Order: sequence, then C-alpha cells, then structure tokens
Amino acid sequence: MTVRDRGALAAVAAGVAALTVATLVACGSQPAEDVGADEAANLATATPTPSARAAEGQSVPVTAGKLPAGAKIVPPVRLVIPGIDVTATVNAVGINERTNEFEVPPSVDQIGWYRYGPGLETDAGSVVIAGHVDSAKQGRGAFFRLRELDQGDTVTGTGSDGGERQYRVVAREEYAKTKIPLGRYFARDGKPRLTLITCGGPFDAKARKYRDNIVVTAVPA
Amino acid sequence: MHGIPDTPVDVYVNGRKTLDNFKPGDVAGPLNLEQGDYDIALTKPGEPIGSAILTVDNAAVPGGGNVSLAAHLDAAAQPRITPFVNDVSKVAAGKARLIVRHTAAAPEVDVRAGGTPVFKGLTNPNEAKGDVDAGSVQADVVLAGTDTVAIGPADLNLKEGTATIVYAIGSAEGKSLDVVAQTITGLHSAPGGVPSGDGGQAGTGVHTWWYVLTSVGVLLLLGGGVRLATARTGRK
Repeated sequence: MTVRDRGALAAVAAGVAALTVATLVACGSQPAEDVGADEAANLATATPTPSARAAEGQSVPVTAGKLPAGAKIVPPVRLVIPGIDVTATVNAVGINERTNEFEVPPSVDQIGWYRYGPGLETDAGSVVIAGHVDSAKQGRGAFFRLRELDQGDTVTGTGSDGGERQYRVVAREEYAKTKIPLGRYFARDGKPRLTLITCGGPFDAKARKYRDNIVVTAVPA
Repeated sequence: MHGIPDTPVDVYVNGRKTLDNFKPGDVAGPLNLEQGDYDIALTKPGEPIGSAILTVDNAAVPGGGNVSLAAHLDAAAQPRITPFVNDVSKVAAGKARLIVRHTAAAPEVDVRAGGTPVFKGLTNPNEAKGDVDAGSVQADVVLAGTDTVAIGPADLNLKEGTATIVYAIGSAEGKSLDVVAQTITGLHSAPGGVPSGDGGQAGTGVHTWWYVLTSVGVLLLLGGGVRLATARTGRK
C-alpha cells in the first residue's frame, strides 16, 4: 500500500467518523415530542356562555352595586417539582411596561407567578408560573429541566396561606414563540390548571433568544 | 342600574315583568336579548304596566353589543332612563378600564384619582372612560374646577382585565349623592410573550459547527474515495 493510499484511507475514515458524530449529535438534539396536547386544549375549553335568548323565562341576577372589593387570591410562594429537582421561590409578577411581555424574575433561581390571573385558590382558569431556562450571566435557571417533565409527574405549589396543593402533569408542549396560543394559557376560565412556561428549542446566538416556549400543563391531583 | 333614590320599581321588558321590586343602588344583569328594539317600562312595585312611572320605547339593543340601562335623575332631578353602550373591548395585559357615568341630579364634576383630576367636566347623562394600570386608587368626585368634594373619597379596586363602571347617582340638593358600581369581567389580554432564557445552554437543534463538521466529513469521504479509486485505476 502506498503512502498515497494510506492517506486516502485515513481521509475516508476521518470522513466516516465526522459524519457519525454529526449524526449522533443531530439525533441527540431532537426535542422531546409533545405529550398531552389534546388534553391541555380540552382543559381550556370555556364553560359555554348562554346564547342570546329572548327575555322570556330568564331570571336576571340582581346585585348590590357596591364598589368592587379586592378578591381573595392565594399567591403561590413556593414550587416543588421532585422529578427535576426543582424547589423554587415564587414571586408575584406582572407585565413589563416596555415590552408588554411577562415579567419573569431576573434572578434565574426564582420563578414568577402571573399575579393578574388566578391564584392557587382558583376553581377555574390557568395559574401561570414562568421561569428562566437559563441566562447568559447566571447560567442554568430553575426551569432548565422543565422539558424533561412527563405525564404523571407531580408538582407541589405552596400558597401564601401555607397550604400545599398537589398537581399532576398532563401535558408538555413546545411551540414557536410566534405561534404559541397564549390566550389559552392565560385564560381565566375553563378547568382549574397550573401552567408552567419556560424557553426552549433552537437558540439564536446572535439575538440571544430561544425560538420556542416549553409549556407544561398540570391539573389538581 | 337603578339610581333613582327612594323609588323601588318593577321592570318590564316588552310588556313582560323582568325584575320584581328592583331597588335603588342595585344592578341587575346580564340579560341576554336578541338584537332589536325593546320597550322598557318601570312601575311602582305591584302596579300594572299601564300606570308606569317611566317608559322607554324602542330602545335599540345592537347585535353583539353590551348595553347598560340607567334609571336615574337628570340634572334637573327628573327621573329618566339612559342607555349606555358598554365598551367591552379587550384591555391590554396589566390594565383595567374605568368608566364613570354622571347620572345624578348634580352639576358638572371632575373625577379625581389620588387627588389628581383624571376626568374633567363630566355632565349628566354622560360618561368618561380610560384604561389605567390595574390596582387600587383612591377616587373622589368634585364640583368641576374646584376642590369641593361631592362624592367620596372611596377606594377603587380596579381588577386587571375588567371594566369597572361607576355611576354617580342621587341628588345634590337632596343630599343623596352616592355611587353604584357595575363590573364587567373577561376583558383581559394575554402578555405579548414569555421571554425566559438568553443563555443558550438548553438550545436544541444543531449549531454552526455541526454543519462545518458534516461538510468536512463529506469532503474527506469524497476526496479520499476519489484518490483511492484513481490510485487503483492508475496501477492497473
């Protein structure tokens, strides 16, 4: 065998090796598939509103026209997800005035509860908690492993009243941020449920943004 | 909304009794109606519709619309019914809608929040409205352009994604000025997005180096293969 042949063989071998590595990486990078998407969608189905009818037979509720009082809301203060080793402090957060987006707490080991939506006391609608998957400066966030959750995993939320409430994961979905049906996840009607949101999918290093949102839906256990 | 002091009524819609002994300061509804025109009549409780104290014929109810009917005193203290079309468009995330309606026998007023006039020069039977940050504000009503408080102050809890409608009712002369509130829920919007990561450690999909690696692999294979093939052919 000539030196030239040997070089050529080495080149072929290196090519095969490179492609093998590339294939393995590509397979390993595939996001986990969505589970429970239908169930999550069904939970959001609003209780039907009565259709327009003639006045006949309708009883009209009468209320004292008192100024609205503050509703009794139970904000979650702590969230525990044993399956992915999460124990995180929950802050009540709102909207970033400048961007009109969810104000996820800047500290990546803390997570944010959407204070305009229902709290843990609710018997309808979606309690939304979002947290960082990671941050360029602080590293991994509390919800780094959120996408590993699967149906049946448990989530425990502790309210400001000290009460613990158990939830069971029914769905894990990944949506491009441009297509995610946020109206459904921030709904205040439909079945009571807990919605956990973080980022995921391919990362755009230039824009420092993930393409997708990971959404986990859990129902009272 | 019933804002005529000391005058409980029965309410008839198209000749059918819809509310029995409806009291001042109360709000009734919602009542779902087909689009169309409706005759409204108010009687003293138990009296026949023929002796109605107040009637409105052909009040228009638009399809898909949301209307509040206010039974109230006009500026000259005469009872009347005014329909208000409620703005039930969505409010932005984090906001609440405040609507103030002047339905009292009182002069022009300003509405203040935290001591600052937010709605100025409101007269009977008109409304003023705005979308404001959700939360609590202390509000009062003053005679227009003055600091003379006519109603309040009161704490207003403006819940996000709702419209709070506050009616000023009663009569200044009769010292019966008061407020009645009606709340419309379900006007919330979702946030524009949930940005929750800029580190890239959890990125799925492949990076640029993957494409480089794949290209190099293909080139090596091709190059090596061609070299081998030509070498064998050459030796033959």
